[in-house]
Amino acid sequence: MDVAISNKGAWALRVFFLLVVVFLYAPIVILLIFSFNNSDVPTFPLSGFTFHWYREFASNSDLRGALETSAIVASLSSLGAVVLGVMASLALTRRVFRGKAAASALLLSPLVIPYVVFGISLLLLFHQLGVQRGLLTVVIGHIVISLPYTILVIVPRLEQIDSSLEEAAYDLGASRLRTFRSITLPLILPAVVSAFLIAFTTSFDEYAVASFVIGTRVTFPIYLYSALRFPSQLPQVIAVAVVVLLVSLVVVIGAELGRRTAERRVG
Amino acid sequence: MPLAWLVVFFVLPIAIVAAYSFNVYSLYPGQHGFTLGAWSSFIHSGVYLRLFWKSVQMSLIVSAVIVVLAYPLAYYLALSGTKRKYVLLLVLIAPFLTSYLLRVLAWKVILGDEGVINSFLFWTGIRSPGHPISALLYSRFAVILVLGYIWLPFVALPIFVSLESLDRRLLEAAGDLGASRLQAFRRVTLPLSLPGVIAAFLFVFIPTLGEFVTPSLVGGTTGYMYGNQIVDLFGTGFPDWETGAVLAIFLLLVVTILTVVFSRFLQPRQVATD
Repeated sequence: MDVAISNKGAWALRVFFLLVVVFLYAPIVILLIFSFNNSDVPTFPLSGFTFHWYREFASNSDLRGALETSAIVASLSSLGAVVLGVMASLALTRRVFRGKAAASALLLSPLVIPYVVFGISLLLLFHQLGVQRGLLTVVIGHIVISLPYTILVIVPRLEQIDSSLEEAAYDLGASRLRTFRSITLPLILPAVVSAFLIAFTTSFDEYAVASFVIGTRVTFPIYLYSALRFPSQLPQVIAVAVVVLLVSLVVVIGAELGRRTAERRVG
Repeated sequence: MPLAWLVVFFVLPIAIVAAYSFNVYSLYPGQHGFTLGAWSSFIHSGVYLRLFWKSVQMSLIVSAVIVVLAYPLAYYLALSGTKRKYVLLLVLIAPFLTSYLLRVLAWKVILGDEGVINSFLFWTGIRSPGHPISALLYSRFAVILVLGYIWLPFVALPIFVSLESLDRRLLEAAGDLGASRLQAFRRVTLPLSLPGVIAAFLFVFIPTLGEFVTPSLVGGTTGYMYGNQIVDLFGTGFPDWETGAVLAIFLLLVVTILTVVFSRFLQPRQVATD
């Protein structure tokens, strides 16, 4: 007898699993259906097939601008977060220093802070310093949010690789930088890439913190949020939503499969 | 250097908010100085604390319901012996990694008075046109449904990790000693997976407690949460940064206490490495 699960139980759980997956994907499928619907409002009955909304958003320059802005913000902030994340991870795994536990707690604390609290904190900081709000302020906020995620991905990888490889490089006369470039970095590259992707998608989708520190040039989530308040733009937004959701699903699944194969290869 | 970054752009800003809450800084020029005025009116007026309690209840409902839903999913993946468990896990989690706002948008389209559900009911004649079920959108129900939808894939992960690391020989031993499946579950599996369940619960409860985006999009007035109040106090209408700062610091304190008290269950590394 299998103590964990009976045959009937396994069957019931499989059905339940399937139902939940349907529940999770149904809203996305509904958006997909209505993105091709030839009507100004997403209502039944469906009134005909059209590519109109896709053409409309392709020629919407505000929307394209917002996507572009988000791409810039996400690239800069994920680059920043990964650089800081690698440095922090190296310190946490390779160095011995006082207050390491406290440092590690601080580095991970942005994970639990309510974004509304962090958002207003940054707002007040920039207000106090007299810094104009703009893309730079959003980038700064996003680096803080993404940093713990990059550490969580990179640290386990660093713990896996044998530090005697690095010691050997030092013994052979390599400098710290040289060792990092020729030994450590190539070994942790898969983790660094997936850290970058996680930071990128986090930033690309981030609304809460950005809403407090954004200037006049809006990012995609900010644009989306304001567009949700105008029903006339709804069909276009649905079309964009479908494209973004499908692209991100493909990227996420691709990245995960890529990471697994890479890790299997490197060991 | 990463620490310096966090001190300047994370710790310092929070300290400034705390300073505002004690009126050391102020939005308006004029009298400054340390006072507990805003704090004492926060505690005595009761309006904000009632709203906070309402948000706690909403987050508790969301977290409890989806932990209960996610447990059998994780159990199925970890213990049923299915060969494709990682693929299925990825299928389950993938929606969580896509755009948050767009998933809220989807529910707005589905639940509205002119939305997919109502127009479907009109079309099929179940409800007469002009009499939509309006409680679907802009209600507490909508906020709880959408938050549950958003977080459900994620909570399965920590529970899966704890069930996956369970030593199956313990279950075999329980079976050999004559335990029924229910007994084995109650005496072995459930207690051993409890840390994962608590972690899952907190991973949802903590972020939804301060949530303001979902309630502002689908909550209307009845779904208004504590986070919305904070945003409004810093908003453009009648800004009151002092009170807003008090509310923010209070939320932060509650979250910090929860995190510290339950820190031994919150091991994000375990989750991330899987």
